[in-house]
Amino acid sequence: MTTQLARESAVIRAIRPLPSGAISSKPEFASAGGGRITVAEETVEQRRARFERDALPYLDQLYAAGMRMTRNPSDAQDLVQETYVKAFAAFHQFTEGTNLKAWLYRILTNTFINNYRKKQRQPLESGNEDVEDWQLARAESHTSRGLRSAEMEALDHLPDSDVKDALQALPEDFRLAVYLADVEGFAYKEIAEIMGTPIGTVMSRLHRGRKQLQVLLGDYARERGLIPAGVGGEA
Amino acid sequence: MSMMGFGPGNIDCDDVLGELFVYLDDETDDATRSRIRQHLEACAPCFRQYGLEQDVRALVARCCGGDVAPASLHTRVRVRLTELTVETTHLEYRAD
Repeated sequence: MTTQLARESAVIRAIRPLPSGAISSKPEFASAGGGRITVAEETVEQRRARFERDALPYLDQLYAAGMRMTRNPSDAQDLVQETYVKAFAAFHQFTEGTNLKAWLYRILTNTFINNYRKKQRQPLESGNEDVEDWQLARAESHTSRGLRSAEMEALDHLPDSDVKDALQALPEDFRLAVYLADVEGFAYKEIAEIMGTPIGTVMSRLHRGRKQLQVLLGDYARERGLIPAGVGGEA
Repeated sequence: MSMMGFGPGNIDCDDVLGELFVYLDDETDDATRSRIRQHLEACAPCFRQYGLEQDVRALVARCCGGDVAPASLHTRVRVRLTELTVETTHLEYRAD
């Protein structure tokens, strides 16, 4: 226990400010005589209270995102806890009033990339549910206008788990971009900050990810017999 | 965006469909936005495609979010924050 605490306090000392941008991390100082408590004067206990009030309400949302990233509840829980530890350690650098949600997602994403992704790429833990090459190739070359009305009606009858599986089957960068945009409603600029990529990359990941997702959803619906043979499909 | 065309809103169907996802994301510039809107009001096939894209997004949003963390995680995080607060306060006193 002592070792663990020591390790986490080392995390606090080692934390560095994030680059500035849409998610600002510069401390805010009240003007002289302003009367309010500045971040610099805040005690650790006050900071914890502010953190609990402002950051903890996002716990369920971060957990949902963690589930899409790690694909299992145990890793998602560890990921969220680690995210909160890091966020708390860096919280004095976060500017109140700026985009806390995006800031937390950025820490979540970085933590996932650094700690979990390598582990998940080990042969035993991945592979079988990844999207097939031919499906990707088909999605990439799909020149049709996407889904047709009959297909969309069928998709509405898919079980939630199929839609989740389809999203999970996307390559990681696409999956994350689509999740952040379509489920969380982040703007391109925010997604770019969270994923640490230019906006153009975000747009391309979204475009390709959504196309692949539509192809996969159509396949699932066809496998379940929700779309009669010959409807939709390839031109 | 400089695309010009002869369809409604002076923009062609191919350009509208190519730009549809940016439009749905509410990330187009105002001029393009208004031309695409005009086009969608007058072009049934494009409008149908717009509706489909919107439906798929709604489906993904409905099915892929909303996981609720177990109560034990809420507790774990609060306990860890308390431990860190105590630890950090202790370190700060020790430093003085």
